[in-house]
Amino acid sequence: MNNMQDFTNNTIDTTQLPRFEEVELSPLHQSYIKIIWINIAIVFGVVAILAGLAMYFVEETVNYKGYITIGYILILLLTITIQVVSYRNRGFAFRTHDVIYRSGAIAITTTIIPYNRVQHVELHEGWVSRIFGLATINIFTAGGVSSDLKIPGVEKEHAEAIKQLLVGKITDQEQKQEEKEQLNEE
Amino acid sequence: MKNDFSSPQRQSLLGIVVMGTDALQTSIRAWLPLFLLWIVQGRIPKLYLALAFVAILIISLIVGYLQYRNFTFYFDTDNDEFILRKGIINKTRIAIPADKIQNVNITQSLLQKIIKVHGLEVDTAGSNKTEVKIKAISHRQALSLKELLLEEARASVGENEENVERPLEQPQHPFIEISLMSLFKTGITSNYIRSFGVLLAFFISMLQYVDDYFRYTDYDGDVYNDFEEIVVKFMAFVLLFIMFLVVVINLFRTIIRYFNFRITKQNNSLLLSYGLINTRNTIIKPQKVQMVSVSRNYFQKKMDINDLKIRQATDIEVSAEKKKHALEIPGVDEQEKQQLLQFLLEKNPERGEELKPNFRKLVLNCFKALVIPLGIYFTVCALWAEAYDYIYFAVFYAVIVSLLVFFGYRNYRLYVNNDFIIKQSGAWDIQNEFVAPHKIHTVKVTQYFWQKGADVAAVKIYTAGGEMAYGVANYTRLKKYVNYWLYQVETAKQHWM
Repeated sequence: MNNMQDFTNNTIDTTQLPRFEEVELSPLHQSYIKIIWINIAIVFGVVAILAGLAMYFVEETVNYKGYITIGYILILLLTITIQVVSYRNRGFAFRTHDVIYRSGAIAITTTIIPYNRVQHVELHEGWVSRIFGLATINIFTAGGVSSDLKIPGVEKEHAEAIKQLLVGKITDQEQKQEEKEQLNEE
Repeated sequence: MKNDFSSPQRQSLLGIVVMGTDALQTSIRAWLPLFLLWIVQGRIPKLYLALAFVAILIISLIVGYLQYRNFTFYFDTDNDEFILRKGIINKTRIAIPADKIQNVNITQSLLQKIIKVHGLEVDTAGSNKTEVKIKAISHRQALSLKELLLEEARASVGENEENVERPLEQPQHPFIEISLMSLFKTGITSNYIRSFGVLLAFFISMLQYVDDYFRYTDYDGDVYNDFEEIVVKFMAFVLLFIMFLVVVINLFRTIIRYFNFRITKQNNSLLLSYGLINTRNTIIKPQKVQMVSVSRNYFQKKMDINDLKIRQATDIEVSAEKKKHALEIPGVDEQEKQQLLQFLLEKNPERGEELKPNFRKLVLNCFKALVIPLGIYFTVCALWAEAYDYIYFAVFYAVIVSLLVFFGYRNYRLYVNNDFIIKQSGAWDIQNEFVAPHKIHTVKVTQYFWQKGADVAAVKIYTAGGEMAYGVANYTRLKKYVNYWLYQVETAKQHWM
């Protein structure tokens, strides 16, 4: 697009920078795997009941019984594998200036949000996670819904502390911003 | 003469025309189906219909007059509020505190242009809809009201608040004007791909139609062959005709939308004004700009025109639909492009270190755009032999898509330096997107498990005005950049907005 004379090739000194990929991530709470099992059980239980009812009452399904069962078992196994792998892959870390969260089974995604770009933080407790005393931390930015971060399976107290930490960072930022603006005014 | 807005006043007398027309439009829209029905049925004499129409016209004018009578506005200096009253039966009083005024726009529709009046809209904080619209005032009044409102808004918020636009000091000379010639060039060279899709869809349905026609009328072989030849000629003609139509429609669309495009610099922001039928006015503030992209294709390169798209930060409450909406400046030449980029990005963007995509990107795109669709087609062929009739189509598709994929891969680049992240992409329309690192909100790095060995991954950065994704490319390099961007965001002195 640009002409050749626009081309420059300044070196960037990145060797001294802290590396996000070398950060030790803390895994989700052990009880979170139980929540995963319960969720799978509920979803597949409901599907199994519906399928059972269909097989019992609708005569046309007789010929497909075998296929349905095999399909069901395959999807169940696949779901379990993906869920377990994704549970193992998940991890988070709170650095001085940003939060890192890793997730995914087939594709591993690492999300990083600097604290000075966080808009607000929320804690969310589902009814299953409440039984185990776990909560989800929702971190919102102005970068749109797909850039927001959800860290599930964090112990309630821990999550509360993290929320306080983040809120503290945000207000810190805002104060600094205001101070800067005041300086500018003078 | 300075107008005094401290006591309630009416719009320009010509407002009756504007309001009457609005009322007429509403009633016509409501009555049209019924009228059409009556005309088609033909039971009611034409005279009555004509009378009814005249009645509607008169009623509209009366409504317009009453609306005009009841529409008053003034600035209440005691409470620092702009007050507007309207309504014939249901009377409404709208009061806007001065500190809620975000912006004041002067607009002009075609009708307003003809009768030489202007409209004025007040944007307020906390609502995405413009509630306050004055439909007809003279240009001088509009200017002085705008000045007054912005002055008051500024006074009540405080001098240093940058949220409020400063009043017009004096009309300034446009900084850039897009000529009709540039618009013409843009019109005939843009949107081929989109139009091509429409063309393709039309072609398929035509083919289907002709096929059905021959299937259901019993022609024997010879006649069929003759007809096939005619059909091919006819198709070629239709194809050419549609291509011609596409160019003409694009041309008209561009000219009507962007006619008389003027860009004026005003107190550290850009004022855009354009449009043939509806004149639009928009303000761009550099600190709100999140992403800028410049695109042009081969023809446009030869003619020295670029298409600029600007994405600004929007309020969080605003719908996602609006967020995607970008401001477009068509037909700017190389020099104007440089000037605009310099102003919007506060620095002339230079290309830094180049990151090429991994060849897996090419393989992946071939798979997605060629192997899967053609695979589906041949599977359908295997099951349903008639699908083979469309084999030419598949070949045509394969050729075009191969070209697009290949050039798309060849143009795919990421350039990183201290100040900018620049992504180049596209096969025909080559696009360059510019993001300043301190506008980043979130960074995501994604790697599929089979990409681990090859050390490749994809990165996606999120700004308040949109996203930018790049990959598949060298993971080690991407990690280096991500660390660097994070460092830049976390130490940034500038605010993202």
